[in-house]
Order: sequence, then C-alpha cells, then structure tokens
Amino acid sequence: MGKQISLRQSIILGLLGLTSFVGLWHGLAVSGMIPSVFLPSPIEVYDRFTTLLERRFAGATLPGHLAASFQRFAYGFLLAALIGIPLGLLMGWYQILDEIVSPLFDALRFIAPIAWVPFAALWFGTGIGGPIMIIFAGAFPPCVINAYRGAKFVDPRLIEAANMLGTPSHRVIREILLPASVPSIVSGLRVSAGLGWQSLVGAELIVASAGVGYMMVQGQANVSTTTVMAGMVAIGLVGLALDSALRLAERIIQRRRGLEN
Amino acid sequence: MGVIEFKSVDKIFGPRATGFRALEDINLEIRDREFVAIVGPSGCGKTTCLRMVAGFEDATAGVVSVDGTPIKRPGPDRAVVFQQFALFPWKSVYDNIDLGLRNLNVSRSERETRIAAILDLMNLTQYAKHFPHQLSGGMQQRVAIARAYVLDPDVLLMDEPFGALDAQTRVVMQEELVRLARKNPRTVLFITHAVEEAVYLADRVAIMTRAPGRIKEVLDIASIRNAENWDSYEKIEDVMDLESFVHLRTHIWRSLREEKAAQHV
Amino acid sequence: MKKYESVYITLGGMKVQRKVSIGLATIFIVCMIWFALTTGFGIVPSGRFPSPSETWSALIHVSGRGYGGGDLSMHVYNSLRLVVMGFLFAIATGVPLGLLMGWSRKAEAFINPIFLIIRPIPPLAWIPLAILWLGLGDSAKIMVIWFSAFVPSVINTYAGVRNIDRPVLEAAYMLGMPKVRFVAEVLIPGASPMIFTGLRLSLQASWTTLVAAELVGAFYGLGRVLNVAQQDLYPGMILVGMIAVAILGWGTTRVLGMVETWALRWNTAALAAKG
Repeated sequence: MGKQISLRQSIILGLLGLTSFVGLWHGLAVSGMIPSVFLPSPIEVYDRFTTLLERRFAGATLPGHLAASFQRFAYGFLLAALIGIPLGLLMGWYQILDEIVSPLFDALRFIAPIAWVPFAALWFGTGIGGPIMIIFAGAFPPCVINAYRGAKFVDPRLIEAANMLGTPSHRVIREILLPASVPSIVSGLRVSAGLGWQSLVGAELIVASAGVGYMMVQGQANVSTTTVMAGMVAIGLVGLALDSALRLAERIIQRRRGLEN
Repeated sequence: MGVIEFKSVDKIFGPRATGFRALEDINLEIRDREFVAIVGPSGCGKTTCLRMVAGFEDATAGVVSVDGTPIKRPGPDRAVVFQQFALFPWKSVYDNIDLGLRNLNVSRSERETRIAAILDLMNLTQYAKHFPHQLSGGMQQRVAIARAYVLDPDVLLMDEPFGALDAQTRVVMQEELVRLARKNPRTVLFITHAVEEAVYLADRVAIMTRAPGRIKEVLDIASIRNAENWDSYEKIEDVMDLESFVHLRTHIWRSLREEKAAQHV
Repeated sequence: MKKYESVYITLGGMKVQRKVSIGLATIFIVCMIWFALTTGFGIVPSGRFPSPSETWSALIHVSGRGYGGGDLSMHVYNSLRLVVMGFLFAIATGVPLGLLMGWSRKAEAFINPIFLIIRPIPPLAWIPLAILWLGLGDSAKIMVIWFSAFVPSVINTYAGVRNIDRPVLEAAYMLGMPKVRFVAEVLIPGASPMIFTGLRLSLQASWTTLVAAELVGAFYGLGRVLNVAQQDLYPGMILVGMIAVAILGWGTTRVLGMVETWALRWNTAALAAKG
C-alpha cells in the first residue's frame, strides 16, 4: 500500500479537501461565471434551509415535508421487512418454495423499483398508498435475499450438533436457524432502508402532493435552486441518520457473534 | 557478490520511547554465497530482519547493507520468497516468472530460455499455463522459488517458505532446495522456526532471543556438514539420523527452550 | 447447489433439470393465473391490470404506430444509449479515482470527507437539480446517470485496491515494477473482482436513475412511455414499458456478466479450487 500517514496529517488533508470543495463551490457562485439562480453559494443554501424550517413552501414547512416523507418510508419499509424476511427464511429452509419463488423473484428483480410508479399510482393513488408501494418495491428484494442467505448458509455443523443433542425440529428452527440468520437479516435491513429511502425520493419526485421530493420538484418548477439544494441536504441528513442507526445495530450484533474482522 | 551486513541494528515499531522494541543491537554478517538460517521463538523479530534486507522496513538505528550499500527500497537484486507464496493470482505460472525479467528489461529470447530452464529445473514445465490457484501449495511455492531464482539475484531472502506446506511436501521441498543451493549457490537468508530445517539447509544458524530480539548465538554447521559429508546422503531422514545432526539439533532446541521458559508460556 | 446436479425430470422426452423445470412450471402457472383473472373470469378489471391480449395489442401499438413520441425501437435506442453513455462515463472517471484513493493515503484523506457529505444524497435526489441546470434533454440524464453510477464504481474500486493481499504487493515491489506496469498488471487486476462488483451495482443504479429521470420529464425513452401511459390510464402500455425496462436491464447485466467471466478467468479458477 502507499505510504502510511499520521492521524494529524489525515485530519489536515481532510479539512483541506472539504475547504477546497466548499471554497470552489462558493468561489464559482460568487464569481458570477454561473448565474446565482442556478448555482447559489453555500451560504444562500444554508439561509434557505433555515428559512424553510419555519416558512411554508409547497404547502408545508421543511419539517412538515420530512414528516410526511418519513411516515411513508416507515410504512413501506416495515411492510417490506414483515413480508420479505419471513419469505426469505422460508425459501432458505424449504427447497421447494425456493424453486417455486426464485424464478419469479429473479424475473421481477430486473424491474427497477421506480418503474412501478405508473401501476402504483393507478392502484393506490398518489397520496400515501402509491409512494408506499414504490418504497416497498425498493426495500423488498434485499430483505428477501439476505434472509434467504442467512437461512440457507447456516453452518451445517451447528445443525448437526443440534441433531446430535436430540433437538426437535421446531426447536432447531427457533433456537438454531433463526438466531444464526440474524446478522445477515440485519445487514439486509440496512441495504433495504437505503434503497427504500432512495425509492421514496424518486416516487415523490413523480407522484406525490407532499414530502421532500415534492418540495424539490416545486422548487425546480419555480427555478428556486436554493430550495432544491436545501431539499437535497435534508434528504441526505435523514438518509445518513437512518444508515448510521442500522449500521450501529449491525455492528452490535456482529460484535456479539464475534463476526467482526 | 552478495554480502549482507547488519551493523548494530535496532528496530522499534511505533514511537521511539513507547513503541514495541522488536530488535536490539543485531550484528551479523552473511558472506557471499553463504546460506544462513535465523531461528527463534515466534515474535522475536526474525522476519523483521529479513524484511529490512528486502527493503520493506527501515532500521530505527544502525545500518543494514548489501555489499556495503545501505538498503533503501525493495528491488530485484534481493529476491524474496514469501511464506504465503504471494504469486499474482491473475497471472499464469509462466507470466509470474516472466514479470521480474521484464522489469529488468531482459530481451524476449533470453527470457524464454531462462524461464524454460527454471521451469525444467523445478519440474514445472507442464504447468506453465496454469493459474496459481489450480496448483497445490507445494507447486505454488515451487513457482515462487522459480520466480525468485530466475532473476539470478545476488541475495535470496526466504521467509519461512515451507511454513504453509504439509509435512511430506515440506521434506521434498527441502531436499530440492538443498540440491538447488549446492548446484547454484547464492547468498541466502532463510527464516524459519523449524530447527531441523535450519540445520539441514544452512551453513550457519543464528539463534535469536525473544523480543526484543537479539542474536544469542551463531552456530557453524558447514564445517560439520563437510567433515561428516552430509551431502552424500540423498534423503533428509538419513542425515537426521546422524549423531552430529542430532547433537546440533538438540543444542538449538535447548537454547530456544530457555527462551520459551523465560516467556512464561 | 449439489443437490440439483443429478436430479432430472422427463418433459416431453427431454431430460430437464429439476430446478429449471419447476421454474418453467411456475412461470407457466403464473401466466395461466394472469389469463384466468383478467380475460377468463374478469375478476381483475382491465382498468387496473391489462389482460394478455391487451398487453399484446399495446406492444403492437407502440412498435407499429408508435406511442409517446416514437416507436418502440426508438424509445429503446434512446434509453439504452443514455444508460451506456452515463455508465461508461462513470467507469472512466470512477475507476481511476478509486484506484488513486486506494493507492494513496493522502488522496484518500483528502477526498474521503467530500464523499462522506455527498454520498448520503441518493442519486435520484439530483434529478431536479440536473433538470434545472441542463433541462429535459440528454445531458441532464447523462449527468444523473453518471452521478449514480460513479459512486459505486469509486467505492468498490477503492475497496478492491485495499483488499489486495499485502504479500502480493510486496512481491511486486520486490520485482522492481515500473509505475505504469504496476498499475496495469497488479493494481487493476488485483482490484478487479471488487471493481466488477461495483460495476454491477453501477449498472443497476444507472437503469433506476434513467427510468426515474425519464418519468420526471423526457421527450422520448421508456420512462416517457411509462409516464404517458400512466396519464392516459393505459395499463397495457404500462406493462409493455415495464417489461421492456426489465429485459434491457437483464440484457445489459448479462453482457457485463460475460465480460466479467472473461476478465476474471483466473479468479474462477481460484473459486473452483476452493470448492
């Protein structure tokens, strides 16, 4: 590997990187080379962000839009987990179910979640139902796949050990197979949350009457670049918080199982 | 020429005052075309000695030099055979051996002759087109040795090269290395924790103490080997039965055990 | 996997592997159910989901007269062209950046924090900004596809370089490699298993982003077909659009998979050797 550097050096370089990024952006914005309608400076975006915290735009304040988005996300994500995890586990345990569902699942997997938008709107409307379906479409596959992997690839020696101890099969499922697949399921949930959040944004850009994505589309229509960028910041922050929470859960479970590398 | 010299070498990992003292005052000269093995308890810094000659690590104090020139960076004049083989998995056996020669800008025709010769010598000819992972551990290490030997280096550095092999393969490889080393002698620095291996292969064996590693004792094997004519025996087990061999081995064992005892393990 | 190997079922005199035959049977049964629910018993109204014949007529419609501003081949061509361009552009920029970050600790320390603040923003969230900047034409789409495919290529290339075995790198130093040769013959092949993982993710992201961007606004492309069909309440056309997207996604993934199999021949040998 390239030369090692000290922690101090890496912090300095990191700050330098951030400053040059923000500085370049700011410089370009204030230089007037690009009209500030299209490239507002970081300060303007920050101002707009704080304004939106209190003032309504496109029907609600930024926290209001975020709450609407998050509610949809939570429903879609929970639905995906509640259906996807049991399905994946059953597919891992029962080969016949695997053989029946896998071809369908593989065929559907190539449809980008966002391509479900027209049917989602047709079936569930553009209020809350449609977006939930899109989030579901994004979050469902990783739940299934990871639960399936967790169930399928349990160390056979564990099952042999359980059999050797004369464990009845319902207890093998509850006390061996299920706990063994937990780390994989949690990793799946993290991926799933990321894809679900991204699908939500897509859905709201196309079909919705509230939510951060809707706010951004309205911002775009009104040529308010600051609103669009403030929306991006808000989406990024919530996505980051979600990911960090699930990453923490993942790490705690891995540590408890001694799976850390 | 290939004279390796350690002159009052210290190595500390981390900050000078608080870091881990791996080596302390190492003094050792390896003569041209001499085969020296370093044995010592695990973690004593023997591999660090080799890595300094290879140019992967700097000495904290003192000088490591080859032919009087202090070592700055790795280079094909000091070929290394690694314990984990370290073959390029995406290159065939032939291309693995070829790479070092290409870096030295050897002409194509000469490369072909030299590779053909080394493949033949190491019994690898029929595997030239194989990828490393298609070969057994013993075969892979043969490729790694071929990759080093083909460069015709002044100095050959071997870091527990047989450590990852099973016992039978190991014996075969040791016999082959003896044949190779006697036929085409190089300056070799050989790191191992297997005492028999050191006695069987080396001209001199250096015994190291536990960390911070120091050189405790250097035994001359070559004079005994020549006096008793070990090389006339074809099989390693015949040599190992000789009284002179047993004596040397037991001596080194005792010496290492003192180190173990001091470690409270 | 082993279980499947010797299990065959006879189907019309042909021996078919159990897995394949069950899969085919499932898909056949699903098609039957589809037909029964729509045309057969009319349980699902055609305003909600199209029957097979409606889907077929929609396919004839879009490939013949055209729909949403062009015929099927034109929509397919445009979508495919944008994905390929955005994807290739992302590889051409992302892989070298990933190599640099993987190799140089300094570059990593400099660039990583910028990545950390940009990465949480999902690629789809760039669509409004891209439209503001570049309008509804091709360049806005290429920009968002580039962006969505760029991040996975960088991250996986970077991780791939870091995953190369240390002794293998040391062997390369020991052999005294010139810089260019080191990058071409050690760094890139060493990182390539991870690079391809990144490219697969990138390709998937490219399709998702393209469809979303075209749904938000476009003059032609499969997303445009979906969008117009949604507004026209034309379920048959929606299904045709979705199937076309799925087939293209599958096809491009297959092509990438073939390139990967070829490029990682040595690794297949490695995986086979491990069992």
